[in-house]
Amino acid sequence: MKTYGTEPGAPTPVQVGISELAVSDGDETLRSYGLGSCLAIALYDPDSEIGGLAHAMLPDGDAAENSDRKPGKYADTAIRALLRRMVEKGASYTSVEAKIAGGSDMFEFDSFGDGVGQRNVVAARDELEKLGVPLVAEDVGGDRGRTVEFTPGSGTLLVKISESDGTTGVTEL
Amino acid sequence: MKLDVNALGTFYRMAREGAGLAAGRLTHMTDVETRVGVTKLNFMRGREIRRDFEDPTEKVGVRVELGGAIEGYSIVVFDRENALRIVETIVSESDAEEFDEMSRSAVTEVGHIMNSGFIDGWADVLETVIDVSTPEFVEGASADVFFNDLEEAPDDDDLALLFQSHIEAVDTEVGFSHYLFPERESMSQVLEQLRDSGGIEYDKLEGFDRMAERGAEEVANTATTLTGIDTSVEIRRLNFVSLEAIPEEVPDERLVGVAFEFDGVPSGYLLFLFDEESAREIVDAMVPMATGDGDADEGPESFDEMGTSAIKELGNIMASGFLDGWANVLDTTIDHSTPEFVHDIGTAAVDPVIVQLGENQEFAFVFDTLITADGKEFDCEVYAIPDEADLERALNDLDVGRIEDAPTTADFQEVDNA
Repeated sequence: MKTYGTEPGAPTPVQVGISELAVSDGDETLRSYGLGSCLAIALYDPDSEIGGLAHAMLPDGDAAENSDRKPGKYADTAIRALLRRMVEKGASYTSVEAKIAGGSDMFEFDSFGDGVGQRNVVAARDELEKLGVPLVAEDVGGDRGRTVEFTPGSGTLLVKISESDGTTGVTEL
Repeated sequence: MKLDVNALGTFYRMAREGAGLAAGRLTHMTDVETRVGVTKLNFMRGREIRRDFEDPTEKVGVRVELGGAIEGYSIVVFDRENALRIVETIVSESDAEEFDEMSRSAVTEVGHIMNSGFIDGWADVLETVIDVSTPEFVEGASADVFFNDLEEAPDDDDLALLFQSHIEAVDTEVGFSHYLFPERESMSQVLEQLRDSGGIEYDKLEGFDRMAERGAEEVANTATTLTGIDTSVEIRRLNFVSLEAIPEEVPDERLVGVAFEFDGVPSGYLLFLFDEESAREIVDAMVPMATGDGDADEGPESFDEMGTSAIKELGNIMASGFLDGWANVLDTTIDHSTPEFVHDIGTAAVDPVIVQLGENQEFAFVFDTLITADGKEFDCEVYAIPDEADLERALNDLDVGRIEDAPTTADFQEVDNA
């Protein structure tokens, strides 16, 4: 069972688990924990300060039967679902920007081919380009896991990497 | 009785749906925000269920008998303390430390509403009607009190299908567990309706369990031989879960792991995960010079080349033992890759495997084993996640009659320590 530590006084971030997505406005923080080959996709509209985070597991939802039921599971359907929900909340499609993080490849197994993380990254880039959403920042690939925190109000995506020497590296996108 | 992944998938959805309804009703009653934790379908022997249940905590349960589309028992179990907290939220003047008539009836009421939540969820998914008896209050610390007088309680050696859900409250301790024991005959009928492929004979699950048992024993034995630390199998279960649920079970802390892919019938992935302290203890036992003065607590934050290769070597030999155990039961050969070392957040070490398997399957059987040692830190979680189609094939080929005779010997000479 997952448990989450919280700093005293700080609002509890909304957890976005694997295959889930969440849309929010303002200062609420959305968080996805321990991404390996999964991909975090953050979309936001800087004008309305509405944004969302998806924790996608697989690249291609259009080829899958259950993508209607679980749009957040696939990079392509997650991006479309995030956009739709943001626009419903009042975001303007044309000003939406994207940031992505994750898609590591920690294991070099034969069955993994070119890398399972890499496939997710490519799928997200393709879908964003198709929809005309600019990808303004990314921190992808490599062989380390990542934890991300996204604040739609500011559009800040914090990426934390737990290094092998025990330190935590933080990148702000 | 036969089952297939479609049928089990429906069962799994039932469990999720039921847990969601039950959590919603608990929130409604107690004004405490709740959420559904892990939901699992377990195949467990009666013996393992009892062991799993018997931590020293006093528990209270509310039990109902089911009829109609599903016959069996549904039991909601709270830790005794949690049950008393729930009573406090409902009966505001109560600060009882014992169960009097009022608190007893309050808990029974809550438990009954939980049970009904689960059952309504199942009935929704199955699009049918399930009847529920009047609730019964049960109190005690051992499994016997809760299970033994059931009409079809699984004996020590019987393999039972068990639904387990955990619902936890945000910020407060009012979590509870839920168990469903369906009766064999009625489950057989439901499975028959849901099955959309050839499926696996239920009795072949015996083979599943035997595989798991042999594999786990081999791991504990090889670990003991290699490290000199006396280890044993603490928990062993066979879970059927949606892929996304697998990382949820892994602790979200930094772990040290060794991962393998294995190839044969079945193929799949095998992971050994150690907490950092256990990993240091192991390095210490295998290469006493590696952590300097030998005090595990003062070791360096990272694992140097010697430490890494010691852990990889242990993983390699444990993997051979585990898969030999399987191969012997299945009368086949299973090869495994060279070990991949990982020292990272546990979830991140598991998700590449589920991402890969997710291309072709939605659910997985997970052979989940915990190996521990008395007195020393040696906690090792073993996750074996076979490719679903391969596993079905392997089980269908399985000759149930020879399971008992299968020898298990891990041959240390054959291991390639590359």
